This record gives sequence, C-alpha cells and structure tokens, in this order.
Amino acid sequence: MKRVIIFISIVATAMVAGIIWQGSVKADNAPMTEAHIARIRANCVDAQSTLSQLHASDALLRVNRGQLYESISTKLMAPLNSRISLNRLDGVSLVAIAATYEGQLTYFRQSYQQYEEAMSDTLKINCTNQPVAFYDSVTDTRAKRKKVHESTVALHDTIRNYKDEFEAFAKQFDGGSQ
Amino acid sequence: MSEEETVATVDHLPDRWSRHRFMGLVGLTIFVALFLVSVALALYNSSGAAQLDLTRPGYQSVREQAGHSTSFDGFAANGPLNKETTDQFRTLYDTQAEKATNVDSFAGNAMDEQTLSIDAPSEN
Repeated sequence: MKRVIIFISIVATAMVAGIIWQGSVKADNAPMTEAHIARIRANCVDAQSTLSQLHASDALLRVNRGQLYESISTKLMAPLNSRISLNRLDGVSLVAIAATYEGQLTYFRQSYQQYEEAMSDTLKINCTNQPVAFYDSVTDTRAKRKKVHESTVALHDTIRNYKDEFEAFAKQFDGGSQ
Repeated sequence: MSEEETVATVDHLPDRWSRHRFMGLVGLTIFVALFLVSVALALYNSSGAAQLDLTRPGYQSVREQAGHSTSFDGFAANGPLNKETTDQFRTLYDTQAEKATNVDSFAGNAMDEQTLSIDAPSEN
C-alpha cells in the first residue's frame, strides 16, 4: 500500500511538473496578439527602409573589415611564420594561433553570408500582407547578425593573442624590452 | 514501301538538316550560353562573391566608401630575424591590429524590435 502511494505521488509530481513546463513553453511561444500584428503592419515599411540602409552599411563594413582581417592573415601572420620557419626558430605557438585565426576568418565569411542571405529574404517579404512572417524573419536575421558580431569579437581576441605571443617570441632578440 | 521510296526518304533527311542547320546551331548556342550563365550565377552566389559585390543595386550609397587600400605591402616572408626586423613587424602589426579592432563591428541595437518599432505594444 505504501509503495502504491509513493508511486502515485511520483507520477502526480511528474505530471504537475510536465504541465508547468508546458505552460512555460507556451508562454515563450505565445501567439502574437492582434495589436502586435497591427503594430508590425503599421511600422514595417519604415522598418524595411531602416533594414535596407543597414544592409548597405553592413555590406560596406564587411568589405572594409574583411580586407583588414585578410591583410593581417596573409601579409603579417603568414610571412612572419614563414620567416621564423626559414630561420629555424621555434614558432609553433604563433603558427597555431595563425591557424585558429584562419578558421575564425572562414567562420566570419560564412556567418556573414548567412546573415546577408537572411537579410535579403527579409527585405523581399511583403510585410503589409505578411507581418508575422516579416517579424519572424527579422528575428532570424538578428540572430545571424549576432553570430557575425561574435565572430568579429573572436577575431579581435585572436589578433591580441597573436600580438602577446609575438612579444614573448621577440624577447629573445631584444632582451625582454618591447 | 517500295525500295525507291525508302531511298528517297533517306536521301531527304540530310536535306532537311542542311535546311535548318543554321537555326539549329543558333538554338544550340543559346542553350549552351544559358547553361554557362546559370553555372556562373550559381558559383557567384554560393562562393560569397555576391556579398562582396558593391556594384549590385542598393549599394550605390556606400560604393564610394569602400576601401581601396592596396598600399599595405606587409611583412617580407624572407630575411633574417633580429631586433630590427621584429621592431618593424611590431610597428606594422600594431597599425593593422588597431585599425581592425577599434570598431565593434555588427554590434549595437540596430535590429532590435524597439528600434524598428515592431515590438509588442504595452498592455497599459
């Protein structure tokens, strides 16, 4: 009898927990209210105009930042690593950081491409007729733009890491002073 | 079908081809051209080149601001490594690193719901 009571209480607790969890999930994915949809419909043309300008300025940023990131890899890191190797010095850690940087640069390119495609799709939506689709697309594009930002932060960190490692490497030539 | 008729039909085929040969070649050329353009456009889009192409419509406003910095030669891959060359590398690296990291790219609240005025209205 005692076991049955314990079993029933466990099942009941699990069911209550499940109901509460489902409720929280529903709250997160709560359907849009009519007022919200009307607000999107009213402001979406202006929003699309703002996004269009952002699209253009981000493209410029991508070109200019991309050139800088590329030049650091191809015109500074790779030549220094090559020269270290040619002089038969130990530059393993610098090579490892440069490889990490290359990987992050590839990720930056890919994430920007995904973001740009998502933004182009968002701008193509007829937001007056499809306000919910427009809202969802903006949310998706925002998440992809955040990924691009994160990739640039990672690149900046690696640029600083390479500098720190270079300073450690260069100590053997200048007696520790920078 | 008599033997004469069969010979006549077979003899007729080359005549028909030679009569439409020019149009056939034009059609084939157009087909090949369309196929090659499709392949080129697919590569243009999938390679990421499209994202870097500021000559596309919609980018007129920013086209002139794109960097044309080809003057940066970088660090030579050959030569000795000593205090002088490491100092030279340090100067070059610091300049480029400063340019690359001084802007917090793709950050900010430009795409926030509030900024775009598509957030849920307050219930009050």
